[in-house]
Amino acid sequence: MRQPGSNRRPWTFYALAAFFALYVLFLYGPMSAIFILSFQGPTGGLTFPMVGVSLHWFGALFGQQRTGDFAGSFTRSLALAVIVLSITVVVSVMAGLAFRRRFLGSTLVFYMAIFSLIIPGLLLGLGVGLMFQFLGIKPAWYSSALGAQLTWTLPFGLLIMFAVFSRFNPAYEEAARDLGAGPWQTLSNVVLPILLPGIIAVALFGFTLSYDEFPRTLIPIGSRNTLPLEIWAMTTNVTSPALYALGTVTTAVSFVVIAVALTSIAVIQRRRTRRGTQVDGGD
Amino acid sequence: MAQPGEIELRNLTKRFDQTVAVNAIDLAIPHGSYCCLLGPSGCGKTTILRMIAGHETPTEGDVRIGGESVVGFPPARRGTAMMFQNYALFPHLTVLDNVAFNLKMRGVGKAERHRRAREMLAQVRLDRFADRMPAQLSGGQQQRVALSRALITNPRVLLLDEPLSALDEFLRLQMRGELRRMQRELGITFIHVTHTQLEAIAVADMVVVMEQGRIEQAASAREIYTLPVSAYVARFMGGQNVLDGKVTSVRAGVASLVSDTGERFSSPVTDATVTEGDVLHCCVRRDRVALERAPGHPGAQPERANAVAGAVHAIEYQGSYVKVTIDVPGREQFVANVADSRFFANRVDIGDPVLARWAPEDVHLLTGDLRKPARGMGAGRPYGEEITRENG
Repeated sequence: MRQPGSNRRPWTFYALAAFFALYVLFLYGPMSAIFILSFQGPTGGLTFPMVGVSLHWFGALFGQQRTGDFAGSFTRSLALAVIVLSITVVVSVMAGLAFRRRFLGSTLVFYMAIFSLIIPGLLLGLGVGLMFQFLGIKPAWYSSALGAQLTWTLPFGLLIMFAVFSRFNPAYEEAARDLGAGPWQTLSNVVLPILLPGIIAVALFGFTLSYDEFPRTLIPIGSRNTLPLEIWAMTTNVTSPALYALGTVTTAVSFVVIAVALTSIAVIQRRRTRRGTQVDGGD
Repeated sequence: MAQPGEIELRNLTKRFDQTVAVNAIDLAIPHGSYCCLLGPSGCGKTTILRMIAGHETPTEGDVRIGGESVVGFPPARRGTAMMFQNYALFPHLTVLDNVAFNLKMRGVGKAERHRRAREMLAQVRLDRFADRMPAQLSGGQQQRVALSRALITNPRVLLLDEPLSALDEFLRLQMRGELRRMQRELGITFIHVTHTQLEAIAVADMVVVMEQGRIEQAASAREIYTLPVSAYVARFMGGQNVLDGKVTSVRAGVASLVSDTGERFSSPVTDATVTEGDVLHCCVRRDRVALERAPGHPGAQPERANAVAGAVHAIEYQGSYVKVTIDVPGREQFVANVADSRFFANRVDIGDPVLARWAPEDVHLLTGDLRKPARGMGAGRPYGEEITRENG
């Protein structure tokens, strides 16, 4: 018999738990399969079962054999992601500062920035490619592909800065001014340090959006591929577990970047609340 | 020769788009005084403070500190320091670096600025919290850090924007005494913005009561409280009952009046020219009102002058006195603050019919309302009461 107030769970709990389990399975199942298969033995194939366990296919990645130019495309992707990150951070922070005041045409500039988010990426990449061809400039990862990626990361960065500034209390700036700080001193001593966690978030977005960008980069990339494009090319001609090793390595890099960013945000927040508790416990 | 902390506002006006926040204000605050700007939210008091500080530019008029116009000067050049509402302590800096901020901006070396910041913190007994972050301090400690951070600039004027509103009642009472003591010790001008009447009259040498961007009255705390200039000030400060009536006769500096509900009372009119038929506003202090039981039904017209009749609406025990609120038909509620010994010697209960009476010499004429059109005499809405409660 069911007693009122007993802590038995209703059937909906089990139904929703099963649904959630399925969700987790679909999310992580394929990734885990690739992760496990990347450790396939030297004689193993693209599918289960595992024929021994080895790091053979990771080694194969770094020799430029039939597997494609992994090392080159990986370096290019990292370099491009860092360039995109830097430009995104600088431009987004400055634009965020500018948009705090209404300026002539601010609404127009805002909608134009947001517009590039909703244009299909492939078309945008096509447009960039066409423009470079029209101007007679050879497309390359550091020029045309960089521009195409920025159309994606800049509006994102700007939107994040809007959210960051909406929680920023302008009284801090006034307090700094009141205490004799000039505009630059206010920016460097007060505004930027307080906004630092938000700026790290913008950097993280800039990096990851660039690192796995595909549709916008595909056409204007030029002759040397970034990593996602190289992987895509490899899926059509590589038939070894090296492909899985590649997937594992690139995912690991993404995780490291995210972990570094989140840890630094957490450290900053902790410093602001916890620091010095050991000095004196009482009050 | 003007003294350094003397402040003069001339025709000071601030408009935001179409709204007038501060409307052509003239005010002189003497050097070394403690001045409170008092008024309900939106009356323009914070805007005035921010214009003195240099965080807001006047639309018209002049701000003079120490005899010199400071309009257009950056805050740091004015010799003012501001303590912000909720303090605005920099969350990413330690308490020590917060206090040392001004010195750092001025290029003082690290060892020297930390030494001076520690000294400053020692004065407010916070030196052992120097290495903490602001978020780890209690409200009262944060307030003291904010005070140290402002005072390290050696200001001639300290501007305090609602400095006590973030504290609990107990700390608020303690800190307001502390602020007053500090102002005396430093001998500089303090300008303190508040919406709490008791806070203002407790600390200030000079209270400026504001309404809708204008100054209603600027005077000593005692004068504001006992001799309000207008019905607005009388109601806002509390402590007074406002009476309206039409003059029936004037003799030897005393006007006889009758309210539109028929009560008769008199008011001294020595400083004003009034003639028969004028409508006057007066007030009588709550603690000068005596209560007696009235036989007959509540609200019957009192036989005698200088009295109103009604039924007891509420009784609040306040320790040294008892606040008795009386419903009087046709006019705003009447309040008598009866000394506790007198109240308990002759108790009344809620609903009892009572007569509230006062001596004619305790009536004070509200001269500031003489030139204003009568506002629906008698049955006025007790808006002063409402403001009091809203902000209490």
